Amino acid sequence: MIEIKKLTKNFGSLIAVDHLDLFIGAGDIFGFIGPNGAGKTTTMRILVTLMEPTSGIAFIDGLDVTRKGKEVRRRVGYMPDFMGVYDDLKVFEYLEFFAAAFGIEYRKRKAIVDGVLELTDLVSKRNAQVDSLSRGMQQRLGLARVLIHDPKVLILDEPASGLDPRARIEIRELLRELKKMGKTIMISSHILSELEEICDRIGIIEHGQLVFGGTMDEIRPRLGIQGKVRVKVLGDSARATELLTALPQIHQVETVGDYLSVTFREGEQADGVIARTLVNGGVDLVYLQPEQLKLDDAFLKLTKGIVH
Amino acid sequence: MIASVKKTFLSMVRPKWLTGPIFEKELRVSSRRRRNYVLRFFYILLLTIFVGMVWLSVAEYQGDVTYQRSRMAAAGKEIVMTIVFFQFIATQVLAIVMLSTAISDEVYHRTLGLLMTTPITSLQVVMGKVLSKLLQLGLLLAITLPMLAVVRIFGGIPWGYLLSSFCVTLTAVLFAGSVSLLISINNRRAYAVIIRTGFVLLSFYLIIPLILAALMGYLVPLFGPILNVRGFFSPWRWALLAHLNPFYGIMANTERMMSPGTRGMPFIWPVHCLVMLGLSALVLTWSAKIVRRVALRQVTGQLDPSAGGLKVGRKRCRDSAPVAEGRVKRVIGPAVVWKELRAPLIQGVDHRNSYIGLAATLGMLLLTYITGYLDRSLREEFWHVSYGLLFVFIGIIVATVFSATRITTEKEAQTWSLLLATPLEDRDILLGKAVSAFRRCLPIWGLLAGHVILFVLVGYIHPIAIFHLAILVTWLTCFVTGTGLYFSARFARTTSAVLASFGVMLSLWAVGPVLAGLLDLMGGSIRGGLLTKYMLIHPAIQTQLILAGAGGAANGRAALAELQYGERSVLGFSLEEFGLSDMTFILTVTALAYVGTGILFFFGAKRRLRRNIV
Repeated sequence: MIEIKKLTKNFGSLIAVDHLDLFIGAGDIFGFIGPNGAGKTTTMRILVTLMEPTSGIAFIDGLDVTRKGKEVRRRVGYMPDFMGVYDDLKVFEYLEFFAAAFGIEYRKRKAIVDGVLELTDLVSKRNAQVDSLSRGMQQRLGLARVLIHDPKVLILDEPASGLDPRARIEIRELLRELKKMGKTIMISSHILSELEEICDRIGIIEHGQLVFGGTMDEIRPRLGIQGKVRVKVLGDSARATELLTALPQIHQVETVGDYLSVTFREGEQADGVIARTLVNGGVDLVYLQPEQLKLDDAFLKLTKGIVH
Repeated sequence: MIASVKKTFLSMVRPKWLTGPIFEKELRVSSRRRRNYVLRFFYILLLTIFVGMVWLSVAEYQGDVTYQRSRMAAAGKEIVMTIVFFQFIATQVLAIVMLSTAISDEVYHRTLGLLMTTPITSLQVVMGKVLSKLLQLGLLLAITLPMLAVVRIFGGIPWGYLLSSFCVTLTAVLFAGSVSLLISINNRRAYAVIIRTGFVLLSFYLIIPLILAALMGYLVPLFGPILNVRGFFSPWRWALLAHLNPFYGIMANTERMMSPGTRGMPFIWPVHCLVMLGLSALVLTWSAKIVRRVALRQVTGQLDPSAGGLKVGRKRCRDSAPVAEGRVKRVIGPAVVWKELRAPLIQGVDHRNSYIGLAATLGMLLLTYITGYLDRSLREEFWHVSYGLLFVFIGIIVATVFSATRITTEKEAQTWSLLLATPLEDRDILLGKAVSAFRRCLPIWGLLAGHVILFVLVGYIHPIAIFHLAILVTWLTCFVTGTGLYFSARFARTTSAVLASFGVMLSLWAVGPVLAGLLDLMGGSIRGGLLTKYMLIHPAIQTQLILAGAGGAANGRAALAELQYGERSVLGFSLEEFGLSDMTFILTVTALAYVGTGILFFFGAKRRLRRNIV
């Protein structure tokens, strides 16, 4: 659905995006991650035709964004990182204005606006002035706006920034709903752990270059980090440590608080072996839980230049 | 002991107790801003042009030595007078511009509340801002002191005149800057502050004295015996009023210098300066009080920095209350035009207040008509030329501001990228903006049309004036709107766009004639070909020509062939007489040139529409 090839954008001597290659399939939620100034917003702005690339090419739904700008805009809903509202309009008027701007017929607009208000749970604010809404409500209104013309692709630049935990959870739920509706979503955020829960794939960008792109499962071998499990046993943990250390698949066993942190050798995954070994060795196993590699850890490792 | 006394003495002598660290910070920031250097460059350039023009006009005569010496003395006086008047006007304008964002920038960048969490007082904030700008303007004034001193030697200018003019200018600058700062507390946008400050000063210096003069001239003879108000307008009260007006002060001072021995209204410049200092102190104290309230609102989170100052703080408080159900207006017609016209005419003022303002304007206009009817001046073309000039002048200002703010306000509100992300064509967006800018100017052009049609019906203006004024308004609208939209698309900040647009208008219609005159003088023919041709395409001169040629009872009912243009001088500029066909030809050619330029600017705006997106 979204395809970027050798995309480059220079601002004078500054290279904001540097030969970026990316592919996002239809119906995917793609998390776009990177430190400030990495080139996320510039990439997104090129995709929504607000900027022209210095070189390279980008397609949305098979359309070249530099040549078919108007057609691309019809297919894309864009929510910028800092979004203003027209402070002299009411919520319904604001949405209807954008409906008109997207060329939706007058007689259809009311039903469409009411529909997106319902989807974003803003029906009670239909007649409120947009500048009187809270930050969370304004973000919801922003989402309602991008849905008004039923786009195939949503490009959301840090939609959860500045929101409280409840509002962030609500936005996340809304994104899940949109995924169910078959939308392709490209989302950037600094709340990395949230992307981990909703994204099918992630891309990590630094200095305008993609340093990683893939699924969460693909990220472990790419980083060269071994898998880990947490093991909690009843009674003496020394016996358990002794049994596990003897296994060829195990790289290291550490005692962390009241549990053991077990690290596998590269390429090994031996949860079943651990359980069997402990039970056969007479150790009472309370739980065995995989330790997930958090997106924050991956982000820190990758953007430190560990992976090139 | 001695050290302690010395420390106390020094702390009292240093201005830091009044300005705090704000003064130093402002100076440091100013020295890094390129625009301040550009400002100084243009200030000196303009001053040089004016002085050069005066020099050429006065010193070019040939004759014997005695005559040439007397000419030199006259040239000296005129050059000094030019410098004094230039400084007087230019430094006040600069003070207003420089202080137009003094407080609003602090509010917008959320630093005002932070300042209040330090031991800095609100008075120090205000005084630090004002005095740092005043120092820079003082430097501009000081630049010309050596030139004034040299000219004084051969011009026979008394030191007293230089000193008094310097003090009158400085106190006027302080007052203008103080008013600008006060208004900047509640207005985020510099152009709004500049216009509002200009209006306040215009009211204070001109409209109030004019109203008093009107009262004295018309109402006192009518109602004086009944209300016994004639005594109020005794000469000493007029003198008191004159001491409140630096424009009168500088003119009275100059008149005495140019013609010693003449006796006018008493004017004691030290008293005037003390009065202006007192007024400035009052305004600054008031500003300090409001700044504190705004800062406290910001600290307590009751202020929306993206919108403005104290007034907005109140609005936000109101908005936090449960939202009342109101009528929703459906979008009809082109989306951009609908949205633009949905907003109130004046930012922060709702439609009801706009209508009240319009009704008040109509009321005042009616009052002037009654006054004109009573003294039969409505029959004179001068009266209609004055109205025409007033409407055209206001129309140009309003059209410039509205067109130059159409896009930058969206950029500042961060809604521009949302609009550009829709499938609307760039041309449609720009046309929508242009139409809305024109619609917002309609009340002004409506007043002009109303005035002309009314007096055509009465028989005091010839109907052909409607056609000629329509051509004038058409080219003005196209040119000003095109220019405004271009700068609005080019710049990210509203203030930059508005100032650039005004810069074009001033260059064309204020500096242009001066340069044309200068070129004529260098060519040896005073009021020669170039200036005359240039002035023919000047909107003010065209207004004058149209209404002086077709206005007044004598012309109102004349046959078309009898109408003659150009023989009457209203703006101090007269031409040889010419007929209706020439007038129409001049207007048509001007319209074609300006409309063409306006369209070029429009296309320039279209090209830049998707650049500089915030």
